[in-house]
Amino acid sequence: MITAGLEFCDVAKAFGAVQALRGVSFTIAAGDAHACVGENGAGKSTLLKILAGIIRPDRGALSWAGERIHFSTPREALEHGIGMVYQEMLAFPNLSVTANIFAGREITNRWGVLDERAMRARTQELLMQLHVPVTPDTSMQHVSTACAQLVQVARALAFDCRVLVLDEPTTSLTDAEVDHLFGVVTRLRQQGVTVLFVSHRLPEVYRLCDRITVLRDGQFVDTFERATTPSDDIVRAMVGREPPRRVPHSSSVPQFPSSPVPQFPSSPALQVRGLSRRPAFEDVSFQVAPGEIVGMFGLVGSGRTEILETLFGLATPDAGQVAVDGQAIYVRSTRDAARAGLALVPENRQRQGLFFNLSLRHNLVLPLAAKQGVGLIRDAGEETAARAQVEALTIKAPHLKVTPDALSGGNQQKIVAGKWLATTPKVLLLDEPTKGVDVGAKFEIHNLIRHQADAGMACLMVSSDLPEVLALADRILVMREGHLRGELPGAGATEETVMRLATHDVDLDRPAGGNA
Amino acid sequence: MKQLWQVREVSTLMILVLEVAFFTWYLWPSDGGHPFLNVGNALLILKYSSIYGIAAIGAAIVIITGGIDLSSGAVIGLTSVVTGYFFVQADWSLTASALMGLMVGLSAGLASSWLIVGMRLPPFIATLGVMGIWRGAGYIITEARFYDLSAKLPRNWTVVGVSIDWVPPLVMVALAGTFQVLMKRFQWGRAIFAVGGNETAALFSGLRVGLVKTTAYVTAGLLAAISGVVLAVVQGQGKADLANGYELDIIASAVVGGTSLTGGRGSVAGAVLGALIFGVLRNALPQIPGATFYDRVIVGLAVIVIVVMDQIMVRRGEA
Repeated sequence: MITAGLEFCDVAKAFGAVQALRGVSFTIAAGDAHACVGENGAGKSTLLKILAGIIRPDRGALSWAGERIHFSTPREALEHGIGMVYQEMLAFPNLSVTANIFAGREITNRWGVLDERAMRARTQELLMQLHVPVTPDTSMQHVSTACAQLVQVARALAFDCRVLVLDEPTTSLTDAEVDHLFGVVTRLRQQGVTVLFVSHRLPEVYRLCDRITVLRDGQFVDTFERATTPSDDIVRAMVGREPPRRVPHSSSVPQFPSSPVPQFPSSPALQVRGLSRRPAFEDVSFQVAPGEIVGMFGLVGSGRTEILETLFGLATPDAGQVAVDGQAIYVRSTRDAARAGLALVPENRQRQGLFFNLSLRHNLVLPLAAKQGVGLIRDAGEETAARAQVEALTIKAPHLKVTPDALSGGNQQKIVAGKWLATTPKVLLLDEPTKGVDVGAKFEIHNLIRHQADAGMACLMVSSDLPEVLALADRILVMREGHLRGELPGAGATEETVMRLATHDVDLDRPAGGNA
Repeated sequence: MKQLWQVREVSTLMILVLEVAFFTWYLWPSDGGHPFLNVGNALLILKYSSIYGIAAIGAAIVIITGGIDLSSGAVIGLTSVVTGYFFVQADWSLTASALMGLMVGLSAGLASSWLIVGMRLPPFIATLGVMGIWRGAGYIITEARFYDLSAKLPRNWTVVGVSIDWVPPLVMVALAGTFQVLMKRFQWGRAIFAVGGNETAALFSGLRVGLVKTTAYVTAGLLAAISGVVLAVVQGQGKADLANGYELDIIASAVVGGTSLTGGRGSVAGAVLGALIFGVLRNALPQIPGATFYDRVIVGLAVIVIVVMDQIMVRRGEA
């Protein structure tokens, strides 16, 4: 029996000349787990912002159980039981985890005095429930991106909500954490909470949701029943064309189809010996050959990002040696690293990768300029270099003068990659290269990485997306608690063998039908 | 496409033109010569504005990196003292004395950037401290006396064929042009904008963020010191309390000229135009009968009105 739950009726919204939503209507049954999917720019974020009371629609209405609802502020939405978990972190870095979870809705006693003990206890409980490795008193600025996302989930769970909205909540979670989150969501559903789940990851959508609504270019395409719809149909509805081919999988395609790299290369492009930066990681040794993609996998807190940052001169190691092309390097700054032939595509493109006050062209040539040194800017040279990257990476932009905020997430990620590829590095370090980008862009970025490797670049890729690691990596390094726990050839590895190394006695029986 | 009036320097220039037109009309004399619109008065405005304008170039650069420099007024004052000391007391040449004066700005810039980059102090605190120390040093040196440069300065002298009266505005224009090019056409300027736009991304992009900030504060210090030399020569004095409170007018000039206090956006040419807008106000308002006690209020209102207008134009440009 379907009871009318949350209903969107002819909702439309324009930003200037851009029509973000063109009259979208669909219904989410009460108590249902409903997914909303679509490529970047399909209008999902706008829809969520309207639901959260952040923006008001130009026309159309929302209703709950047949009754019209209308939010003019986020607070009203909260009070109506809409709990949001956003894709982009909204946090107060200067406050504790507890203060972040209860911000604006603090527990007080009858005199209006903050009840710190109650909030702290509740936070502790939620953090345990979600397995977040931080304490309630940790300052938010010391919380990693992945843990911060979990804190946001905790914030939504801290209050009774009728509708739990999850906007790409799993982008920085590992599979074990996703299992956990889904367990929590399933329990909430049994208590009668309606779930709206927005994600790029179709396997997760299939695991969690009963119905799937597809948006494209601000328009409602269709709502599908999970049970009777193959995922290719969903992809076709999302992109409006045939689904892109999957990236050549190491197990189904011979390794290095087009590059003549020997199986045991004599001169690794990157050689790391005994690298330590306590307490993040200790005694890590590995190497990456030219033309090789090495995937580094591990759970949150296993030290993956810290290794990349240390290699790139953002932190100083306690011990260990690093060599590029057999030459020992001593990197004390990011500039040293760039000059040694390293490049880092960081995890958080908004915060660490892009300059929103500078044009696309200037963004694309900045590291190159920094590497080469101070001098007069030559317009023609810059134009050529920037245009070359735009063409090579098929960055979709109206012209080179736009600022990055006008472009989609996938194109932004390509800018961050492109600005480093312009420096022709020997070793490309990638930290979560496809986090939060849509299906099409993910495929393009995978091809781009493969293409760079085939051209002889050594790639070291950190990713929480296990299927991505399995699809791309020639070798997989697995980290656990700051130590390198093992190495697997990309060809034979399965999700199980990798996860067994990444977790210790965590029990791995996963719900059946986990992979569609 | 961007309209011409949406280019920030052009809109600032338009405000200046409107302002001059207004005072020309308002102060139109019933008889005899115009009290506002004459060559002598224009020269006076340009001469005094250049003291603010030269320092405002540096202020804009620092603000674009996302920082702030409160020490410019103190640097101007101490520079006049040091220049005066060497010129009058030690009987050095004016050039040599002026070079010693520049050391005041260099030292202030190095001190500020060491505190900000090395000791990780917020720029507001670091430059507030430097402002106090550099200002106080002037009193210690002079012991509340002042150096009279005017007695030793030649009368009606020229520098490479140009009357000394025209030198400060010409220096200002030359410096504004130079730094406009450095900021827009050189990687140094690009780095300044990048650091102010997203410091983390700048670090991740291989920029030497600390060095970029250091050059910004040293440049600001040196430019303020040049203002100090100009002031010492124009006033004929080296005195510890000269240019007291100028730092706020200098920052206001940069802001009115389109520099955003949140960093990453701004222009040195705009800062100089901003200084001229204030220079005209300071010159013309006292000539209006009855306005004597209102001039500070009007200057304050002008800052608010101009910045609000700018934000409206920026929003329209984005829509």
